[in-house]
Amino acid sequence: MKKNNIRNFCIIAHIDHGKSTLADRLLEYTGALSAREMENQVLDQMDLERERGITIKAQAVRLEYTAKDGQTFMLNLIDTPGHVDFTYEVSRSLAACEGALLVVDAAQGIEAQTLANVYLALEHNLEIIPVINKIDLPSADPEKVKHEIEEVIGIDASEAILVSAKTGFGIEEVLEAIVKRVPPPEGKADNQLSALIFDSHFDAYKGVIAYVRVMEGTIRPGMKVRMMATDKKVEVTEVGVFRPSLTNVDVLGPGHVGFLAGSVKNVKDIRVGDTITDADNPILKALPGYRKINPMVYCGLYPVDSAEYDTLRDALEKLQLNDASLIFEPETSVALGFGFRCGFLGLLHMDVIQERLEREYDLTLITTAPSVIYKVYKTDGERIDIDNPSKLPPVTEIDHIEEPFVKATVIVPTDYVGAVMELSQEKRGEFKDMKYLDTTRVMLTYHLPLSEIIYDYFDRLKSSTRGYASLDYELFGYQTSTLVKLDMLLNGDPVDALSVIVHRDKAQSRGRQLAEKLKGIIPQQMFEIPIQAAIGNKVIARETVRAMRKDVLAKCYGGDISRKRKLLEKQKEGKKRMKSVGNVEVPQEAFMAILKID
Amino acid sequence: MNIGLYVHIPFCRQKCLYCDFSSFADMDHLQDEYVAALCREITGQGGIFDEYIIDTVFIGGGTPTLLPAKLLVRLLDTLNSKLRIAAEAEVSIEANPGTADYDKLRLLREYGVNRISFGVQSFSSDLLKKLGRIHSPEEAVKAIEFAQKAGFRNVNIDLMYGLPDQTLADLDSSLEQAVSLGIQHLSIYGLKVEEGTPFYKLREKEQLNLPTDDIDEAMYDWINHTAPAKGFNRYEISNYAKPGYECLHNLKYWLYKPYIGVGTAAHSFVNGERRANISQVNQYIKIINQSHSPVEYHESVDEDTAMAEFIFLALRTVAGMSLKAFSNEFKVDFLKKFPSIVENLQARRLVDINEQGIKLTELGMKYGNVVFASFLPD
Repeated sequence: MKKNNIRNFCIIAHIDHGKSTLADRLLEYTGALSAREMENQVLDQMDLERERGITIKAQAVRLEYTAKDGQTFMLNLIDTPGHVDFTYEVSRSLAACEGALLVVDAAQGIEAQTLANVYLALEHNLEIIPVINKIDLPSADPEKVKHEIEEVIGIDASEAILVSAKTGFGIEEVLEAIVKRVPPPEGKADNQLSALIFDSHFDAYKGVIAYVRVMEGTIRPGMKVRMMATDKKVEVTEVGVFRPSLTNVDVLGPGHVGFLAGSVKNVKDIRVGDTITDADNPILKALPGYRKINPMVYCGLYPVDSAEYDTLRDALEKLQLNDASLIFEPETSVALGFGFRCGFLGLLHMDVIQERLEREYDLTLITTAPSVIYKVYKTDGERIDIDNPSKLPPVTEIDHIEEPFVKATVIVPTDYVGAVMELSQEKRGEFKDMKYLDTTRVMLTYHLPLSEIIYDYFDRLKSSTRGYASLDYELFGYQTSTLVKLDMLLNGDPVDALSVIVHRDKAQSRGRQLAEKLKGIIPQQMFEIPIQAAIGNKVIARETVRAMRKDVLAKCYGGDISRKRKLLEKQKEGKKRMKSVGNVEVPQEAFMAILKID
Repeated sequence: MNIGLYVHIPFCRQKCLYCDFSSFADMDHLQDEYVAALCREITGQGGIFDEYIIDTVFIGGGTPTLLPAKLLVRLLDTLNSKLRIAAEAEVSIEANPGTADYDKLRLLREYGVNRISFGVQSFSSDLLKKLGRIHSPEEAVKAIEFAQKAGFRNVNIDLMYGLPDQTLADLDSSLEQAVSLGIQHLSIYGLKVEEGTPFYKLREKEQLNLPTDDIDEAMYDWINHTAPAKGFNRYEISNYAKPGYECLHNLKYWLYKPYIGVGTAAHSFVNGERRANISQVNQYIKIINQSHSPVEYHESVDEDTAMAEFIFLALRTVAGMSLKAFSNEFKVDFLKKFPSIVENLQARRLVDINEQGIKLTELGMKYGNVVFASFLPD
């Protein structure tokens, strides 16, 4: 197909604004899939993605569309993840496109994440086509949304397309706009090869499959290519396109979106954002924008049943095959035994991995409270990175500690500005900016510690704004904070898995809340259990789980032994779900109690 | 070989507010048919009993003494005439003081019943009302005196502690009152609020003023101090008797001896198999009349579970579990089978062990479930 008839585009939308439904309609309309073949939301392939209505991995699909002028076009839709955890992946997907559909809910208006992604798209000089979705809703107000798009983003929304992805209204108009307004890709077939990797997945037979956008030159099977960042050289065995199932073709030319396979075993060799070039005739300078992604959030994952350790390791290895951003290494906790310290892009990523481990591998896990990476400057001049609070050196050895801060953008109706400011203040936020999007909505910018975001900022934000606020954030840098390690002691012994690093001013109240919460979670046992919160040697809060005074079935009635035995079995079963920490039986919820205090 | 027989009478005048046993307050019209069906079941069981001699009978409920005299006579007649009951057998019946007049008690005695167990629960009039009991303390005293006059020389009183609004003083005066009546046996149960009972709902609504853990424990301690001091030796977690008056039927449950149950919801344990009869009265009657089996639950207890049962039942007794009895039953040495569990329990001072056997310590009696559960297979 002629390059002039290729259009590469993506869809930018806030969660629930209808991105996946719109994508499904486009597939259906262009006949990429018959209605019968469609399971709702084809592009979100994981069960989890379907259930949560979110996109976790980028996907791509090639559509063929015969426009009103009679010409046939090849449209490559690259579906991007819609969550702040995956901003880098989004930016790489955007870099593979010339245009973007900006989908905004006709009733809701622009949200913070949409905004962040639109700015990204503008940075990449993408043609942006505003699409106002859900116009079938009674509360739809397209004019207001148009105005907002113009005010906030500063692009012309007069030609915004009104769509109801649900009913299929406006779909043809969207396709026409893609053809007319998104520019065709540039690049020449006889130039040296440069192709951008925007995603990958592991296939048991073919090895790692790289999702690529060819910028210049061509890729064919038999060619030897090199990944420029990892310096991995591979002989290409297959190339192909997404229809949406993988379909082999002879060649991928400039402007094409497709995949290549070359018996690559390790997903780490195919990094999102890396540039593929011809090993024998390489370009000198890689495509811009690549960076090695580093996890932002760490937590310990431990099997409740220590016999499941090997299963957990195997499961993590398998997930890692498809997810280079997941990292893990063995870790030992006095309280929890053998497990893994795992690094994630963010909380959603962590949540998804944990849920997949439990669901797909039938594991029961204890997750410790998530932690950010702290930079600890020691008095002896050494600097260490701490991803596990229990590893923080003694106070006497610490000169100061830096923690990661983010630039957070919150979009919220004006009525809730006060609530957001109050919350952000409480969360040690530094006010940066406030901008009215229109008369009813405001955009607030704060610098906030990432640790507060992953603790409960988002939940609190949602509840204090009745769900109206949307949040986006990006890592902004490290700053010095007065941080201390808060230890929790059960029966006098510190429990490593319960330690947290907190701001000194918050330590007292966090300690008190935690002790109270643990008191509610730890069941009565044969002896009294003191619960203490301590900073160093100083106990700052104390609660007591009183001893259970008696635990015996009074009566074995009428020879019904089975029933009594079942009661005892239940008791034993309950005990099995607990971890013995010293001589205290601790339910698994206790380790998650630290996550959130209601 | 000897076997125990349990006979269930599922009728009550009124359901007590804490009760989750299989009994009904609105089925009196079925009493005739029920006893007829029960007698048919007993007669049908005759074959099984050929190889056994019944040496304990326990007629429980419900309220067996709610049955009119003629039905009680019909039942006892059937038992006596159709089954092989040992001459010296212990024959117990449960009685509610509100349903036991002198004539009825006299009749029971005449038909071979030699042990009677009164569900008194408390001698406090207020508490009895709160429990939904149908009798007064005075009626309880009178019923016990009638029983003794009728010739019962083995009388038990059931008491309860840990009751809503109960004080230590209430409990003490009930204990005093009970032992002053010249009885031979005391069963004293801690209240357990069971799901599905009115008490459960009240507790959910926080309208059940249960004693605190401290008071509950003090009651337990007080009972175990007072009862032996009055000559009632504790021989099981909740049971106390004058020497020689332990309830032989109940001991069968704890010592893993066989028993057969007849009537609704009655449980049997024969040849390592546990069975239970259907619990609905009208269904039971129908099934028996169709000459079908009323058994609705079967469980063959596997070896590991059987061991756990054997242990936890025997450990309920103050004498504990005989090591020899265990190895006779299972051909395995107990201490070799459970070395780490036993070591752990010993370290926590929950059990005592000597050459003869293993038993709960005083602490172990309080935390029996911890000990019992630890022997269950994983």
